Amino acid sequence: MDFITENLLTILILLPVFGALALLGHQMFWKQEGQLKWVTLLFTVVNFLISLFLLADKGSASASGFFFEKNIPWIKAINTNYHVGVDGLSLWLVILTTFIMPIAIVSTWHAVEKKATAFYIFLLLLESAMIGVFVSLDLLVFYLFFEASLIPMFFLIGIWGGENRIYAAVKFFIFTALGSLLMLVAIISLYYAYANIPGGLAAGTFDYVVLLNAMKMGTLNIAPTAATLMFLAFALAFAIKVPLFPFHTWLPDAHTEAPTAGSVILAAVLLKMGTYGLMRFCFTLFPDQAREWAPLFIILAIIGIIYGALVAMVQPDVKRLVAYSSVAHMGFVILGMFSFTEWGMQGAVYQMLNHGVSTGALFLLVGFIYERRHTRQISDFGGLANVMPIYATIFVITAMSSVGLPFLNGFVGEFLIMVGMWKSTILTITGSTNWNYVATMLAGTGVIFAAVYLLWMIQRVFFGKVTNGKNRSLKDLSYREIGLIAPLVFLMVFMGVYPKPFLDATEKSVVEIQKRVMHRAGGEVAEAEKEN
Amino acid sequence: MVFLAELVNPNVSISSIGPELVVALAGIVAMVYDSFFPKQRRVTGIVSLIGLAISAVLLGIMWSQIQPVSTFNGMIVHDNLRMAFSFVFLFVTAMTILISTVWVDNENVPAGEYHALLMFATFGMLLMASGNDLVVLFLGLETLSIATYVMAGFRKSDLKSNESAIKYFILGSFASAFLLYGMALIYGATGSTNITEIAAKVADPNFPALLLIGAAMLIIGFGFKVATVPFHIWTPDVYEGAPSPVTGFMAAGPKAAAFASFLRVFVLGFPLIAGVQASGYLHDTWMTVLSIMAILTMTVGNVAAIMQNNIKRMLAYSSIAHAGYALVGFLGAGAASNIAERDAAVASVAFYMLTYAITNLGAFAIVTLLGQKNDRRTEFEDYNGIGFKSPVLSFTLSLFMLSLLGIPLTAGFMGKVLVFRPALEAGNTLLTIVVVAAVVNTAISAYYYLRLVVVMFFRERTTQWLEPKMPIGLAAALLIAVIGVFYFGIFSDSVIEKFSQSTRTVGAVAK
Repeated sequence: MDFITENLLTILILLPVFGALALLGHQMFWKQEGQLKWVTLLFTVVNFLISLFLLADKGSASASGFFFEKNIPWIKAINTNYHVGVDGLSLWLVILTTFIMPIAIVSTWHAVEKKATAFYIFLLLLESAMIGVFVSLDLLVFYLFFEASLIPMFFLIGIWGGENRIYAAVKFFIFTALGSLLMLVAIISLYYAYANIPGGLAAGTFDYVVLLNAMKMGTLNIAPTAATLMFLAFALAFAIKVPLFPFHTWLPDAHTEAPTAGSVILAAVLLKMGTYGLMRFCFTLFPDQAREWAPLFIILAIIGIIYGALVAMVQPDVKRLVAYSSVAHMGFVILGMFSFTEWGMQGAVYQMLNHGVSTGALFLLVGFIYERRHTRQISDFGGLANVMPIYATIFVITAMSSVGLPFLNGFVGEFLIMVGMWKSTILTITGSTNWNYVATMLAGTGVIFAAVYLLWMIQRVFFGKVTNGKNRSLKDLSYREIGLIAPLVFLMVFMGVYPKPFLDATEKSVVEIQKRVMHRAGGEVAEAEKEN
Repeated sequence: MVFLAELVNPNVSISSIGPELVVALAGIVAMVYDSFFPKQRRVTGIVSLIGLAISAVLLGIMWSQIQPVSTFNGMIVHDNLRMAFSFVFLFVTAMTILISTVWVDNENVPAGEYHALLMFATFGMLLMASGNDLVVLFLGLETLSIATYVMAGFRKSDLKSNESAIKYFILGSFASAFLLYGMALIYGATGSTNITEIAAKVADPNFPALLLIGAAMLIIGFGFKVATVPFHIWTPDVYEGAPSPVTGFMAAGPKAAAFASFLRVFVLGFPLIAGVQASGYLHDTWMTVLSIMAILTMTVGNVAAIMQNNIKRMLAYSSIAHAGYALVGFLGAGAASNIAERDAAVASVAFYMLTYAITNLGAFAIVTLLGQKNDRRTEFEDYNGIGFKSPVLSFTLSLFMLSLLGIPLTAGFMGKVLVFRPALEAGNTLLTIVVVAAVVNTAISAYYYLRLVVVMFFRERTTQWLEPKMPIGLAAALLIAVIGVFYFGIFSDSVIEKFSQSTRTVGAVAK
């Protein structure tokens, strides 16, 4: 037990890798693909159960505010350490990752026939990389996982994707790689910024905690131009990943072409890397720049919300519609973050989880119907509620959660974000116009649009008469499928009714980040806090 | 023997060029043996490998023992640059011999000659790293070049191979002439061919302008050898026409050797000396020229690589681009403010060439194997859909592509991080722009590296596919490459430290 709690994060990262190796060995010696999914499922479920230890013991936060910290030298020549740890911000994202993985795997139970070994190996490697991203506290190690997560996804889309998969896979890869490479330059520059502190230690560092402390103490001061460039390099990498308008164009392609498991993971976890990165690194390392550039991000977020919703409305393909709804939802998350109020930022973190659950579920549901009919065109359906009542019910609940109906999870997140934005002081007040209010109102229209496109789609797909003869004999959800979606539906309701445990866990870290952003760097932090 | 020689002239130290001599000796043994017992491919190959191994051991001993800074009146030097690069060369040649087994067997290549030439080329490369005198560098360069001209045309009946050899020979001689002319001008300007003395002369406040012209000529000559834009035109044709194992060797070995000399002459020979305006002018000029060349090299190499349909041509352009990335580390070494930083930057270039060599040789091993006789299958189309038909080969090749691209956990990533580091360390705006250009180019390169992955895995195969048999030598080379790619990507610590650690030398230089 001690061993587990001491090396918890390392186990979470490595277990899927061992799973992948086990699959490879299994393939070499037994050559029976039928059992592979069971082995994969076993590994992911065990990983999920182990990740629950994250919730259990909370007494051991280190001085830097992280739990389950581990700091081992890796490449001494460039002073890189394998430094991992979780705090309130990453805690739920790690659990979301381990939670969504078994679901993604069961969702492919019958869908993946060809080259199943490779498919499951890539899924497991992806899980490792995603967990690694959320727990790394060394910038180079973070970059490593951030970039490494691209490869399995690239293969998942490219080999098991739809018709246009090659285009989508390459686009996905190049878009995200370009952003992250510029981030690498910024990371190395930070290393030297630390190394060149006058009278300081000669060695630079990639360690986030060390860098942050040096900035808080005022020993590490980066020239404003350099800091702005670094901030933009980081922000670009994350904005592409989120994706923020106008960097979103890879997303609909990737989502549409990816196999169901890929879309679910992409929506539920991969996009969160962007928003997580913004909060974790951009806000704390470059607070002044974050405030300075916030209006731009808020404008882009609002454009994303409205544009995503409008484009989603006219999509003929259900999966593409859900993909564009992702653009809109992630716009909300960005909006909440950049309001720099506790409400907004808490809402943003909560909305990240919501989006993972609801949109993940929507992709699963789209996958169910695609497996039956091999089409996703809205015009091919109609009146499905008559044929598949259970499916229709679950779909409507999920869609409502995505729209933000009270008592479902989406409402809590969006409400917090809107309140946060309303109370925000980040945008200026010109004359009688408080632009923070304007931003909130514009974002509010996004909620209405979301209701429009989802309800309209539901109406066309589920209600009315069965127009297409092929749909008459469709089977309703199997027990496997219901079992798959049930935990997600449960979470939607639970998170909508009782968000307290989630918000409590994230509160401390989020408040810390919020304080860091809203106060000037260096010695003034303490004074500013006193004034409060 | 050693004793005697040292009695005659205290500055002659045979042991200090032991690694070079052993390699040359192995080449001679291979050649002589072949003329008496022809057609015994294994033997000459093993003789060469043993020669390389002994040479490596001697190098290792030299590294740990205290050595004089320079011998042969300052012609041979003992420093990090030499040690680090020498290991790279020995590694490259050993890998090339292993990779060549399939080619030598399939096409009945006169193995004795081939191995002997390879060893002479290696001797030349080693001299290029150890020489501290323009004349020695030129000697090494010519020994290397002449051997590689012949190797490029080794497929005698193949028109493309002949074309490749002729092109390489004519353009190579042209470049050598530039180089030699540059050396002559520098001699005229400084009165010495010794790099240490040249560096001392640069400090002279009124050095003649001839030095600048000489340096420009040298840039052209070395630029040709490392294949930087605009002196890269020969590369694609030569690389495409030469037999695949030879291409792999040319992209890894001679390029690294040229970098070794290039670094020695410019970073050590034309340093920035504080307070001397003239040296600052020279330094500024070559730094600016090389920065522009680096950006051009990366951009042209990557953009042109996108448009290739032949894998060998694609790898040729990619090798141009990689020369550009290595130049970034080179510039970092040039901009370093103290000796420790400079040595670290030089080590980063050596490490970069090592990672590139491992990855590229691995890729060429597979290209050789899949190309079959006369490199017939080297178009992208030939690789359509082989992913799950030959999974081991395809995944290995994909790994090499990802490493060339610089994905974390592979050697290519560590190589890139290490060469970008010194360039950013200086905090110089121009160098920062160069680094940004390098990362943008890395993103561009994703397109063509991934294209091979896409072709192999994402497309369906329409024609029949017969998986080629893998000979043991090639399998060994592949295994070494795969382990190397991961090892240098994950546990690069020890190597980097070794490369940048100062060599143990006795302080006094006998002049």
